[in-house]
Amino acid sequence: MAREPLTRADFLKILAAGAGGVVFFRGAEDALAGIAGAHDDIDQAALSGDLAAALAYPDMTVVKGTPIGTNVRTAIAKLGGMRRFVAAGADVIIKPNICTARTPGYAATTNPTVVATLVRLALGAGASRVRVMDNPISVAPLGAYTTSGIKSAVEKAGGAMQIMSDTRYRDYYVGGLLGYHPLYSDMLACDVLINVPIAKVHGATGLTLAGKNMMGATNDRGTMHTKGLSRSIAEVNRKLKPNLTVIDAVRILVAHGPTGGNLADVRRKDTVIASKDWVAADAYATRLFGRTPRYVPYIAAAHRMGLGENDLSKLTIKKYWV
Amino acid sequence: MRDEADAARRSTGGWKAARWARRATQIAAFAVFVYLLFAGLQRLEPLPYANIFFRFDPLAALATMLAARVWLPDFALAFVTLALAVVVGRVWCGWICPLGSLLGWLRFRSAPRRAGRVPPALRRVKYVLLGAVVVLAGLAGLTLLVLDPVALLTRTATTSLIPGAVFIVDSLEEAGMRWEPTVGAVTWVEDHFRGNVLPTIQPRYEQAVLLLLVLLAVILLNALAHRFWCRYLCPLGALLGLVAKVQVLRPVVGDACDSCGACARACGVDAIELASDGGAVAPAADPPRSGTARVVSSECTMCLDCLVACPRPGAMSFGVTRLPGPWAPYDPGRREVVIAAVAGVGAAVLFGTGVARAVPRPGLIRPPGAQDEARFLSRCLRCSECMKVCPTSGLQPTLAEAGLEGLWTPVLKSRLGYCDYACTACGHVCPSGAIPKLGLEEKRTRVLGVAVIDRDRCLPWAADTPCIVCQEMCPVPDKAIELVGQHLITRPDGSQDYLSRPKVIADRCIGCGICEYKCPLEGTSAIVVLPSNPSLADGATPLG
Repeated sequence: MAREPLTRADFLKILAAGAGGVVFFRGAEDALAGIAGAHDDIDQAALSGDLAAALAYPDMTVVKGTPIGTNVRTAIAKLGGMRRFVAAGADVIIKPNICTARTPGYAATTNPTVVATLVRLALGAGASRVRVMDNPISVAPLGAYTTSGIKSAVEKAGGAMQIMSDTRYRDYYVGGLLGYHPLYSDMLACDVLINVPIAKVHGATGLTLAGKNMMGATNDRGTMHTKGLSRSIAEVNRKLKPNLTVIDAVRILVAHGPTGGNLADVRRKDTVIASKDWVAADAYATRLFGRTPRYVPYIAAAHRMGLGENDLSKLTIKKYWV
Repeated sequence: MRDEADAARRSTGGWKAARWARRATQIAAFAVFVYLLFAGLQRLEPLPYANIFFRFDPLAALATMLAARVWLPDFALAFVTLALAVVVGRVWCGWICPLGSLLGWLRFRSAPRRAGRVPPALRRVKYVLLGAVVVLAGLAGLTLLVLDPVALLTRTATTSLIPGAVFIVDSLEEAGMRWEPTVGAVTWVEDHFRGNVLPTIQPRYEQAVLLLLVLLAVILLNALAHRFWCRYLCPLGALLGLVAKVQVLRPVVGDACDSCGACARACGVDAIELASDGGAVAPAADPPRSGTARVVSSECTMCLDCLVACPRPGAMSFGVTRLPGPWAPYDPGRREVVIAAVAGVGAAVLFGTGVARAVPRPGLIRPPGAQDEARFLSRCLRCSECMKVCPTSGLQPTLAEAGLEGLWTPVLKSRLGYCDYACTACGHVCPSGAIPKLGLEEKRTRVLGVAVIDRDRCLPWAADTPCIVCQEMCPVPDKAIELVGQHLITRPDGSQDYLSRPKVIADRCIGCGICEYKCPLEGTSAIVVLPSNPSLADGATPLG
């Protein structure tokens, strides 16, 4: 899995821009819309997919480099474009990790640019609406939404921040240890769910990545802790299946997670991992911490339930630099 | 004859318009009051004027400044209310006071019949209460401010009315979510009102029932006499009534009066005395002019109903008076002054010798920056604004935790809600500075208490069951809870988890209580926040 040379990435992008409009009808539509100035800032490849990606979708894309927006767009383009996940008129929910109220530099909450770029892409792909929400564990949601910078970034991108209301959790059967467990009904009712965690260390699960991020979809975390956290996390993810997972590893938190608060615990990685398979994405992300998937028990639990692949050697992983 | 009737209609018409202005003002003031209840509801950044009604409240202002022995510039607005009382009397009571308006609107039909049987001397009670409030405040106690009408209504709204309303709305929403045709409407409400009008979490308060009963009692007293509270009990009304003795512009009865008594019948607070009722009207020259009827300015709420009711043109009007109103038989005398002084001093002695001062109760965790108990008790109005704004509903009214002296003051009950690491709201809505206004970084260094783990109940310590919730939640940058040892254990079903045990690093702990709140044990938490000794802990020094 040698890194693709920079020139080829650019070459593919040029190819996509030229060929995309001809090869894909929807791409042609978009090219026209682009001329009309409807969404000039959106990379067409990120919407309709990279030409190479269209021929054979990779299991995962890993993109390193800045600017962050370009990084995210490249990751999505190489994965097949946002239209692979979001159909016109789709109701989209993006679930970042906004566990507490800290500014992005502390790496406790998902990078606002990553979230906002995904909002733009989803809207560009024709989503009827894009809502962004999380259930902060330790602070009032509005404060966390604002301080994390996600609220302003999302609203500027045309998405809506929604406060997760206690009135909208429903008990769903997730089986196993939990049986019936309350989950946020909107996340099950929407057409497309995009999981956008930030990679951090965690006392109970070693790391908190995509699988753990879905704990934000329940308002009964206590039961999960007492009944067996790792397996519970896998069970919640069995019911709540994200269509796309994008792990933000622009900055990662290597100590005092998940809430952080100390800049000395933050490492800059400028990396974004995108996949349809969250287990695979999480398995890959353990590498950023110098670990293997075995270090995070819930990844093994999810793999055993057949939720995804944790053996990286079995996956097509495309890596790019921007 | 016809001219006279026209004149009567004209003059009455003018007063009718003025009465409509009064009613509109009442509705507007009440609407603003209700709006501000929500403007300071679970908000991290409450509106800067969320507590404006208290800042216009001269009773709260004078008592607090007296008890704290400092000039509190936020309360300067209260002198506007006092100045208004000098010019036009108790307009606060009749036009603005939200409790007064509420009691005015809740009219019992039988009340006028019973009102005659309530002895007029009962009107002195409010002066005694006022005196006791002032004397106790002079001795640095504010406990009796629980009688402040604005605080009384706000406290009940905070602890029972708003939680009740939120519960009803949330229940309807939940029902609406289960029925397809209403899902759209519920979603619209959620999208537009959750987080600004509707609070994020269901507020809950321990004293809800008791405080609701207090308001209900005040309302039910209306059945004995209309606006019973305002006539006989309200210490703020007493203060404004005393000032209104020198009221400059007041309703006066002229020579055209034929003692028909229509004004007295119209008066909602029985503030008009008729000569025919047994010579209660003093035959002074100014006022009344005719000697037939007199409006007692210290009781009059300036509602203008009498002027509308008067059938004879020119019999009643507004006049400028220079002399103070005469002392009515039910106005306070030497005896009331003595009773008030004894009550105030007695309360101070009672509180000073209470056990609460000797040994602080275990649950006494004060809001951030309010750790100096004596200073706090001499400033807290018991207005409940801090409890209402608290985003976790963790600030609760005391009953006995701080002794009778600290009745209905705020304490942090960490099992019900914690001190949000990103929030400084309580200090910003506190009208008297009992909770200081702190910047976020400053507030984060204020130590409220210290967490202690009960190793006999804590899951990893007592049952070898993996759990790290307290450590995960701890918001302090370097974590005031550390995990000791980290072993990967395998469960019978093959799933794995880490087992490590939490330990509190006491000198990092700020006592915010999120660990106690989130502990997954049922009932009592295995980690509890105890009051820290301010003399031992750094950063606990209260603001001067």
